[in-house]
Amino acid sequence: MQTTGAPGGARYGVLMLPAPDRAALREGLPLLIPAVPFGLIIGVAAMDSAMPAVGGWLTSVLIFAGASQLTTVTLAGTTSAWAVVLAALVINSRHLMYSAALSTAFSPQPRWFRVVGPFLLIDQIFAIMDTRTHFEPGRFRRYYLTLGLVFYLVWIMVVSLGMLLGPVIPGEWRLDMAPAIMFTGLLLMAIDRRPAVLAAVVGATAAFLGRGFPERLGILTGAVAGVIAGGLAEWVALRRGNP
Amino acid sequence: MGGPAAGEPMSALEVAVVLGLIALGTYAARALPILLLAGRVLPVPVQLALRNVAPAVLAALIVISVSPSRSPAEVTMGRWPEVAAVIAAGVVARWRRNLLWAMVAGLVTLWLALWAVQIR
Repeated sequence: MQTTGAPGGARYGVLMLPAPDRAALREGLPLLIPAVPFGLIIGVAAMDSAMPAVGGWLTSVLIFAGASQLTTVTLAGTTSAWAVVLAALVINSRHLMYSAALSTAFSPQPRWFRVVGPFLLIDQIFAIMDTRTHFEPGRFRRYYLTLGLVFYLVWIMVVSLGMLLGPVIPGEWRLDMAPAIMFTGLLLMAIDRRPAVLAAVVGATAAFLGRGFPERLGILTGAVAGVIAGGLAEWVALRRGNP
Repeated sequence: MGGPAAGEPMSALEVAVVLGLIALGTYAARALPILLLAGRVLPVPVQLALRNVAPAVLAALIVISVSPSRSPAEVTMGRWPEVAAVIAAGVVARWRRNLLWAMVAGLVTLWLALWAVQIR
C-alpha cells in the first residue's frame, strides 16, 4: 500500500487513514481487555436468540454498543419489534451526552471525521477521549481513530467467537443467565453518585411492579421511572450546590 | 411489525427493520450533538436526566430477567439461585471494579446454588 507523508501523521493508501497512534494502543488496552468477555457473552446470547444468527452478528457491525446489543438479542422474539427498538434506543440515549461533551473537540475537525467519528463513540472511547480534548486536532483525530477502529475490529471478532462457541456450550451451564449477571456488573460499576443509586432503585422497583405488563413493558416502565427519579435527584443536588 | 409470541423467530424483514432503526437511532444519538451543537450544550434538565439512563435501564433489565413470574414468593424462593447469582455479581463488581470477576462470581454462585437445590 502506498504511503504518503502529510501534516499530522502519515496517511495510508486510498482510504487516507491517519497512521495508528501507538500511545492510543498502549493506553486503550486496559479498557479493551474487560470488553472481551462481554463480547463473548453477546455472541453466545445471539445464538440463543429468536433473531437469526446473521442478525445477531450484524448488531456488532451496525450498532456497536454492547448493552443495547445484548438487550436486542435477548428481547428479540419475546416482545414486539417496536419494544425491542425502543429498549435499545433508550439504553443508547446516553450517547447524546457523550457526543455533546465532545462537540467542542470535534468542531475544528474536518467534516468527514465529524460524520464518521461518532459511529465509534462507545463508552470506553468517550472515557478516554474526554481526557484528551486538549490534543491538537490532528493528534486528537489520529488517537480517536486508532482507539475506535481497534475496539470495533476486536469487538466484531470476540462476538463472532462467542457465536462459534455458543452452540457447543452445554445447557446445564445456564449461560442464559449470563446477560443478567453482566448487566449487574455494569450496573454496579455505573453507580457512582446518590442520584444514580436512586435511579437504579426506582427503576428496579417500577420494573418489578410492571413485570406482568405485556410486551415486557415493565423494562421501559422501570427505565422511564428511574431516569425521572434520578434526574430529579440530580436537580435537587444541583440546587444544594452538590452536583 | 407485530408482536411475536415468546421465542418466536423473527422474519428477515423484521430483523432488517429492527437493526436499521436501532443503528440509525444510535448513530443519531452519537452524531447529532457533534454535528449540530458546535460547542453549545444540551439544556440542563436533559443533561440531568441523561446522566442516569444507564443505572435505571440496567436495573430494570436485571429485575425482569430474574422475575418471570407475577408471584413475589416465587421470585424470592423459587428463583433464588438466579437472585443469588446477580447479588454475587453485584458485590464482586463493586469490590473488584472488574466485569470479568463479576461474571465469574455470578456464574459460580449460580452453579453452586443450582447444585444445592438439586441435592436438597
